[in-house]
Amino acid sequence: MAAQVIGRRSPQDAAAVAEHQRRAQRRGRIIGIGRHLVLALICFILVAPFYYVVLASLKDSTGIFQYPPKLIPFPPYFGNYERLLTDTAFPRWMLNTLFVATSVTVCKIFLDSMAGYALAKLDITGKRIVFMLLLLLLMVPFGALIIPLWTLVYTLGLLNTYWALILPALANPLGVFLMRQFILGLPRDLENAARLDGVSEFGIYWRIILPLIKPGLVVLAVIIFTDQFMSFVWPLISTSSDDVELVTVGVAALRSHGGVDYGLWSASAVMSMIPIGIVFFVLQRQFLARSLAGALKQ
Amino acid sequence: MSRMRLAAAEHRRLRLRARLRRELIGWAFLGPMFFFFVVFLLIPVLGTGWWSTQFGGLTTGTHYVGLDNFTRLPDVVGATVAVQNTLLFALMSVPLILIGSLLIGLLLARISRGGATYRFLVYFPVLVPPVVAALIWLFLTNVDFGLFNEVLRAFGAEPVTWLGASTALPVLAALDVWRNVGYWAIFFVAAIIGLPEELYQAASLDGAEGFAKLRYITIPLLRRILLFAIVVATIWGLQVFDTALVLTNGGPGTSTTTIVLRVWQYVFGSNNKVGYAAAISLVFLVAILILTVIQLYALRSRRGED
Amino acid sequence: MTTIQPAVPGPATSGPAIELVEISKRYDKTRALRGVNLDIESAEFLVLLGPSGCGKSTLLKIIAGLEDPNDGEVYINGRLANYLRPKDRDVSMVFQNYALYPHMTVGTNIGFPLKMRKRPADEVASRVREVATLLELTDQLEKYPDQLSGGQRQRVALGRAIIRQPVAFLMDEPLSNLDALLRVQMRTELLRLHRRVGRTTVYVTHDQVEAMTMADRIVVLRDGVIQQVGTTDEVYGRPANRFVATFVGSPPMSLFPGRVTHGDGGARRFQGGLTVDLPAGPAIDGEITLGVRPEGFHVVGPTDAGAIEATVELVESVGADEYLSVRMGPETTATVRVESGSGIADGQRIHVRADPAAVHLFDAEGNRVPTEAKHP
Repeated sequence: MAAQVIGRRSPQDAAAVAEHQRRAQRRGRIIGIGRHLVLALICFILVAPFYYVVLASLKDSTGIFQYPPKLIPFPPYFGNYERLLTDTAFPRWMLNTLFVATSVTVCKIFLDSMAGYALAKLDITGKRIVFMLLLLLLMVPFGALIIPLWTLVYTLGLLNTYWALILPALANPLGVFLMRQFILGLPRDLENAARLDGVSEFGIYWRIILPLIKPGLVVLAVIIFTDQFMSFVWPLISTSSDDVELVTVGVAALRSHGGVDYGLWSASAVMSMIPIGIVFFVLQRQFLARSLAGALKQ
Repeated sequence: MSRMRLAAAEHRRLRLRARLRRELIGWAFLGPMFFFFVVFLLIPVLGTGWWSTQFGGLTTGTHYVGLDNFTRLPDVVGATVAVQNTLLFALMSVPLILIGSLLIGLLLARISRGGATYRFLVYFPVLVPPVVAALIWLFLTNVDFGLFNEVLRAFGAEPVTWLGASTALPVLAALDVWRNVGYWAIFFVAAIIGLPEELYQAASLDGAEGFAKLRYITIPLLRRILLFAIVVATIWGLQVFDTALVLTNGGPGTSTTTIVLRVWQYVFGSNNKVGYAAAISLVFLVAILILTVIQLYALRSRRGED
Repeated sequence: MTTIQPAVPGPATSGPAIELVEISKRYDKTRALRGVNLDIESAEFLVLLGPSGCGKSTLLKIIAGLEDPNDGEVYINGRLANYLRPKDRDVSMVFQNYALYPHMTVGTNIGFPLKMRKRPADEVASRVREVATLLELTDQLEKYPDQLSGGQRQRVALGRAIIRQPVAFLMDEPLSNLDALLRVQMRTELLRLHRRVGRTTVYVTHDQVEAMTMADRIVVLRDGVIQQVGTTDEVYGRPANRFVATFVGSPPMSLFPGRVTHGDGGARRFQGGLTVDLPAGPAIDGEITLGVRPEGFHVVGPTDAGAIEATVELVESVGADEYLSVRMGPETTATVRVESGSGIADGQRIHVRADPAAVHLFDAEGNRVPTEAKHP
């Protein structure tokens, strides 16, 4: 508000300007602190349940019901984890889940990038129709498919096998769109230059396209891997024996069949979060890239 | 009088061959994925339609009943209740999710330090399988040692039965909010960061402060993104199943029986109601497809309005 | 049944290096190319010139095999190339955006075509070194494209194109992404390279200065139709129609409409007051347009023969010359060139005369009317 004159200012003007700036800075700092406070509070609310469950998993049955509850588990009780790993099929479930998740991820990486490449750059009659179909069924609720899908898998004799868990997962079109976007973002004429240079059509995909969309492949892998870890409905209805069951189904079974055992339940909850937790911690940026990419696309 | 040296017929033949070759290459790349898509997604979707005209059990054989299942749908046990529950659930969770995530997004977009940590923490619940999340909430809502009641007790209040008949659905909704708010928060952060800085500067020069900026700049610019988020969050919300099953198994009574849960019960519970289940599924599917189309339409139009 | 074999690599055999017969191409409803017939001679530097959308890039892609024509035939070194894949046509291309492989080093980029043709590694390495020396890239061989400047990237693209020694080089506006100074430098470099390597080059540009300085022959295209094929002199000095006349040459030729009946020749007055002696002949009948380039005008005194009064509206100096925008009538303007230092100013009234040897005539369709008859 004080007059900004190029050149000399009177001492009163200078003081007024300085005071205004100080006040603005202070206001800015307060707002900044306020933001941090609110965010910290929200984060606390979001994360507190996890700590609580970890806590419960490290207590024995008396400790759990104790009031007031101990906030720091000392000494920690590992009995729940022991029981989880030896009395239940949890290790097997985890193995199954890792196997299925990895298989689906690896398959999808190639399937989706090839399909994305085709949609982005190749000549196909009915390309638009295919695209529309993929887009339309992208949001299909899984619950609407369980009957025919179950029948199909049953008829193929694949119930209760790894195939039942892997094959239907390959049908999700999300990856194709992601790959297509990434490939469209590559410099123009790359494939044309490669064609003139003597690269075969598959060579273009393998040597040129794939290496250049590596970041996109990582994002895709992360999305698919996590999705597989979280899937529940389908594994629930397509598998019934421990040697094929996934962690999600096994944990739910503990809840509904095993009688009340809070210690075991909390231990299972914690253990099932570890793999994804680790991957998330290591690959944070790629995880968040999914939401970011979705937003920027609009 | 053409000066070409090769006969037109010959050209046609060769052109066709080249065209075929290109088509083959295209399908070689698209084919595998499309194959799985058709077999495990498209055909099942059509299959649901077929199943909805059947009456009987999954493995005990069925017979054709035409559109009977649809006409009887409103009277079918539990169908309307399921729809009511699901709609109520969505009505409770989706607005809260979006408002909460928008708030977080606005805050996160403007802070300068610690962004990565906040984002990590906020997003963490999203990665927990819904089953596990439900399990965690079983702990939180336990009458005797659950966190919620502990907190209440600490404040001197009475412990509450969180999973009772009238409270179960809201608690389920709260669970959903807790799980999903992080996903949309990150989404909005990206969107907000993507907004052009100059508009805010111009607004400051025009004298706009805090709330005014939010109301006149941020929200209008985010309109399309908000619409997208509302539709998608709703679509996801309507499909709630995992948490309902693990937390309350549809109960107490049928207070948390959602559409998908009801379908599941019909198929794997009592054996000869497959037709009903399929009919419900089909109606559900169509509803979601309509929402999808709305979303696509809303995004496609108005290219010049940014 | 004809057997189509890939073109034999190496210098061209006798006859045109590339022949285009009745090429046409359609995109949905628009016709990108119509009935294009062209023979490209061996070792010539041919420029395809025209405004954006005229089909020149499409034509280049059709030669390369990256697009297929709806109709017509392409012959490379005498062999039908329509149904040959791009890699079998023995041509190479420099793209407007260079299309360098971002994940390979400069050396790998340049050597890539040879590597793909399974040449032994030491041969590839020595050829890459040769080309790098020729293009002054030896210090950049281990770098990646994103570490290079625009001019360097362009040279890498060139290197990748010349390493194979194909029948022809195709260049799609390779200089348009460079800044003005660099563009002029690279123009000279490219020409020098062409002289050294001696291979047929088909070069696409929308910049007519570029075309005129570099081309052995220019093909002017408009809306998919060839307007004229000729040397720089022919295209500039004897433009085949109004479009070529105004497209080539900067500032553009000034046009004056006029009317003639019965082709009886003699002095005729055009809009704005210019009077010119027309030759007799049936071609000259009806609407005629007179065209005069800026250098075809001379500033004269008011009493000189053929002098027209004109008011100077704008004086633009480009260093050695000045271009005057003059008005000769309510609807008639022209551009006149004078040497710098003329002292002529805005608003001044001058008199100009058109050199009869330097005028161009166009009939009602816009086609050239030969005026040679009048000038032995």
